Amino acid sequence: MAKKEEKVLGMDREKFRMFMGKYGIGVILLIMMVFISIMEPAFRSGSNMVNVATQVSINAMIAYGMCLAITTEGIDLSVGAQLALVSCILGQLISNKGWGIIPAIVVAILVSTAWGTINGFLISKFNMFPFVVTLSTQLIIRGLAQVVSGGQAIPITDTTFKQIYSAKLGPIPFPILVLILATVLMYLVLHWTKFGRYVFAVGDNMQAAIASGVSIIKTKTATYAISGFLAGIAGVIFTAKTASAQSNIGVGYETDAVAACVLGGTSFAGGVTTVPGVLMGIFIIGFIYNGMNLIGIDSYYQSMTKGAVIIGAVLLDMVMNKKNG
Amino acid sequence: MAEEMKKKEEYVLECHGISKAFGGTQALKDVELLVRAGEVHALLGENGAGKSTLMKCIIGLHQQDEGTIQFEGKPYSVKGPVEALNAGISMIHQELNPEPHLSIAETIFLKREDTRGIFLNKKAQNERAEEILRKFDFPHSAKTLMKELTLAQMQMVEIIKAVSCNARLIIMDEPTSSLDSEETEHLFRTIRDLKSKGVAIIYISHRMEEIFEICDHVSVFRDGTYVGERSMEGVTRDELISMMVGRKVENVFPKTDCEIGDVVFKVEGLSGKGFEDISFEVRKGEILGISGLVGSGRSETMRGIFGMDPITAGQMYLEGKEIKIKKPSQAIKQGICMVNEDRKNFGLALHRSIRENMALPTLPLKQKAPLLNKKQEEKDCLDMGKMLTLKAASIEHEAFSLSGGNQQKVVLAKWLLANPKVLILDEPTRGVDVGAKSEIHSLMCEFAAKGMAVIMISSELPEVMGMSDRILIYHEGKINGEVKREEILSGDENQESILRRAFGGK
Amino acid sequence: MKRRILSVLLCAAMVVSMAVGCSSGDDGGSEEKKEDASTQEEGSDDSAKAGDVNGDGKIVVGYISKNIVDPFHAPINDYAKETLDGLVSDGTIDDWTGVLDGETDANKQSDRADECIAKNCDYVIMLPAEATASDAAVTKMADAGIQVIVVNSATDSTADVAMAYCGPNDVEAGEMLAQWVIDSVPDGGKYAHCQGVIGNSAQIQRGEGIENLMKDNDKFESVGDYPCEWQADKAANVATDMMNKYGDELVAIICDNDDMSSAAQKACNDAGRKDIVCVGVDGNQNPLQMVKDGDLGATVLQDGPGQVGAAIDLIKKALNGESTEKEVMVPFVLVTKDNVDEYLK
Repeated sequence: MAKKEEKVLGMDREKFRMFMGKYGIGVILLIMMVFISIMEPAFRSGSNMVNVATQVSINAMIAYGMCLAITTEGIDLSVGAQLALVSCILGQLISNKGWGIIPAIVVAILVSTAWGTINGFLISKFNMFPFVVTLSTQLIIRGLAQVVSGGQAIPITDTTFKQIYSAKLGPIPFPILVLILATVLMYLVLHWTKFGRYVFAVGDNMQAAIASGVSIIKTKTATYAISGFLAGIAGVIFTAKTASAQSNIGVGYETDAVAACVLGGTSFAGGVTTVPGVLMGIFIIGFIYNGMNLIGIDSYYQSMTKGAVIIGAVLLDMVMNKKNG
Repeated sequence: MAEEMKKKEEYVLECHGISKAFGGTQALKDVELLVRAGEVHALLGENGAGKSTLMKCIIGLHQQDEGTIQFEGKPYSVKGPVEALNAGISMIHQELNPEPHLSIAETIFLKREDTRGIFLNKKAQNERAEEILRKFDFPHSAKTLMKELTLAQMQMVEIIKAVSCNARLIIMDEPTSSLDSEETEHLFRTIRDLKSKGVAIIYISHRMEEIFEICDHVSVFRDGTYVGERSMEGVTRDELISMMVGRKVENVFPKTDCEIGDVVFKVEGLSGKGFEDISFEVRKGEILGISGLVGSGRSETMRGIFGMDPITAGQMYLEGKEIKIKKPSQAIKQGICMVNEDRKNFGLALHRSIRENMALPTLPLKQKAPLLNKKQEEKDCLDMGKMLTLKAASIEHEAFSLSGGNQQKVVLAKWLLANPKVLILDEPTRGVDVGAKSEIHSLMCEFAAKGMAVIMISSELPEVMGMSDRILIYHEGKINGEVKREEILSGDENQESILRRAFGGK
Repeated sequence: MKRRILSVLLCAAMVVSMAVGCSSGDDGGSEEKKEDASTQEEGSDDSAKAGDVNGDGKIVVGYISKNIVDPFHAPINDYAKETLDGLVSDGTIDDWTGVLDGETDANKQSDRADECIAKNCDYVIMLPAEATASDAAVTKMADAGIQVIVVNSATDSTADVAMAYCGPNDVEAGEMLAQWVIDSVPDGGKYAHCQGVIGNSAQIQRGEGIENLMKDNDKFESVGDYPCEWQADKAANVATDMMNKYGDELVAIICDNDDMSSAAQKACNDAGRKDIVCVGVDGNQNPLQMVKDGDLGATVLQDGPGQVGAAIDLIKKALNGESTEKEVMVPFVLVTKDNVDEYLK
């Protein structure tokens, strides 16, 4: 019981505990990167790193929206279906109706934002459970996607549109630029605006937030609207990546987003999240897929590994963050 | 059998040389505690003095670094509240956390359910609970759900549960903090009854009157150290306070008279859920006390004024102009602020920083640019913290790291930053230690002196009487009398006369 | 403050490591790519150079599955694993990627394609999740100089950019389904159609095949197409609903796969309607067992392992310097009680 002067890695035990509590996820990420690099040198290559960053950009958009929703003690299960709807709208407008790319993208993102707004309004105005609301709207949104696409896959042959995924600025592909921009904006929104403060306050203690004059309806509606907006952007990148509009895409994408949030220290009890944390969570998920495939770990074990890594990381985080008192 | 044991041992609980450190902080240092069988033993000390930590060591939530605990003459070591209860020690927490959907019987027999095979034997369980409840003259049936009970009744259920588990030592942490006078009296009767049955009670409270009324001995703590034990007979209040704070506290209520100006805020015929036809006014520089039993409509009226609950009739006037308030943000904009009685649920976002909590209500007023001006905010918060003598290592720390008194100061700070014209304080000193309590009282006087109109709800009669320029007394949703400070000072009105009005008399 | 600095540092470290990797890797990468392109050209008319497509002295084969969970793809993946492991141990190839999980998702398949490129694969066998959406993965790899063999269903530009296509003709499968129903129920009647995931190429083409035969057949009347997402339980629900609605008029349920048809048939049998003819495509073990037991009339077997086998044979040929076919069609087989033992494991 009386361990006091124990040292870990040359650090005071207590300091080490606090350090890991705060930056544990970053440390896990670095350890993972080093480990995979040793196992498979191809992982280290610049092109592979760019690949992973490009790949995770879609998940990152969704995860950012998700972390907002989770921080207000909610969840947004409709994001996967939003991807499908955005994709189908783009396909229908660009390929079948001959719209320009920009108006089509604007309309698609407006629609996904509108659905996010509807989610948020239902949740905040009628005090419905976010899980139930988004589970239901998810069905409606996917159904709409099927109606819009007529159940068919619509190829998008427009090369400019496909460029959204593949175009590069110097060595950096466009989706990474979007990712960087979104990360910066999210950071500002969460940590440097009134809205961000409201999100945290509502998530931590809704009653106290109301008593402090915070509008729950405005805050939550905006939260889900942003989630919808980000899902819209993700949908555009997704559609450009596969150059095809389909109603069956994006199934299960909310799972990876939730996992990234949790890895990044987002609390399901609400009120706690950080943008750098979520970003690192996203990269951990990306590296798990990428790394295991490069190393050649059997796919049958990948799903298990992913689950185990998430539980392990969260557990580590909990142990490290264990509060006195 | 247990009775015989106790007769042999003078002390039912002996703690010797208990030390406990968290990280670098020494929370307890070589602490003693001796509790006799069948006595009520008070623990006294400011928040952070180490009372809670010691209690947590006793019920096994913490393990002490050094020292020994003996219970009923035998070495005692448990790993948690359940083991402690099995050993015969139970703790009734200040903030009760019952499962609202369980019945009384289910709560009493939680984790030791009556079973027949794998099935619950609900009938037998209810009958047994019914029997125990009868012994305590409990007014509800065992099937009543916890959520239908008042706080006092929930607490009673906890006590009944402890007794039914054959607890020989019951720790009560601030048991009267949410009770009104009548409920407190009922609790005391129960405590005396338990005492006569040989149950020892450790009684933690900040209310000196209660300690003098109910306790036999008192142990005083200061800054994690043990100051000493006194018999309640022969010790004076001033002596205890000076033991606690290490200095003499002269005036309990620092009420200063300041100039009372024009009417700032006035309500006429206000009605809503739990209150009816309420009219009053409050002036600049005035402290208006509101007294009455819990549930008499005091808090409900204020919640209505602040826009937390709907108002069905009546008008409000601020500085002569009629105002409409439908939600708290409108009240804040008008300059009406309210410190809620329930700090945990309505006061603070505990996992967010002190700074964020302080700045929250005034964000729309002070932050007009798209991005936050964090420098200005930091300055405001630091200034306010200094003014309120907030004890915190940094304003970036999470609110839950603070003691109750300092949390209350953060709540005060967030409203003072709004620079209110009318400040409503609902039970501002609940669960706050003596030192912080008197600091908050001084602050209230300062606010009034600056020209704020202060409305204070309090269940503690001495506090209301000591602090208010005028007292409104509530009875069943209506105002039943008004008492002025002069009348108190002159002795025309006293505790009894106010209490009488609160119970509906004239 | 400290915390912020550290998190910024961490992010910076990541970015730097990426950027450094980028610049150093990029020169090498682009050079390699140029080389790739040239070798590929050579390779295509003169594969005799030991078939080492990217010229790095190693033969690496990639395998991107459609998924690793459904009963149709599991044996295909197992067969690929067994065969490719065999090739590695006998030295024919140096390495393979293992079964990469496509999760029935074109987006994920595109990510897997990135990994095959990163691993310097010479040949990649891919079972596309979607005809259109998975095409990005195929073209991406082809652009990187990889010889892609598309298996099971073709993507839009397979014919143009891939080395070969090995697969069935799903329209033909749909026609076989319809033909079996027409043959089994000479008098005709009403039939229902349980669809796979809408938009899936197999769903589209099998539906087309069914339509080809049924639309001109006066004896049969469709009561509707029901999206069942390839799922057995949904098809079983359709079967019970349709029996309730149409009673004896319902004579057949055609399903896009035989997980669904076996479940539908079971629902019919349980309801005492053994006369209803349910049939689907794939030849999974459960339906085959039902055929053997006489609970299911027939199922249309798609020889998945055969398709992958054909793809691997093409790689072997290429490595031997032989010329390879552009398209290998692996036929469907109608499995009835008479020949079920050949396919039932």
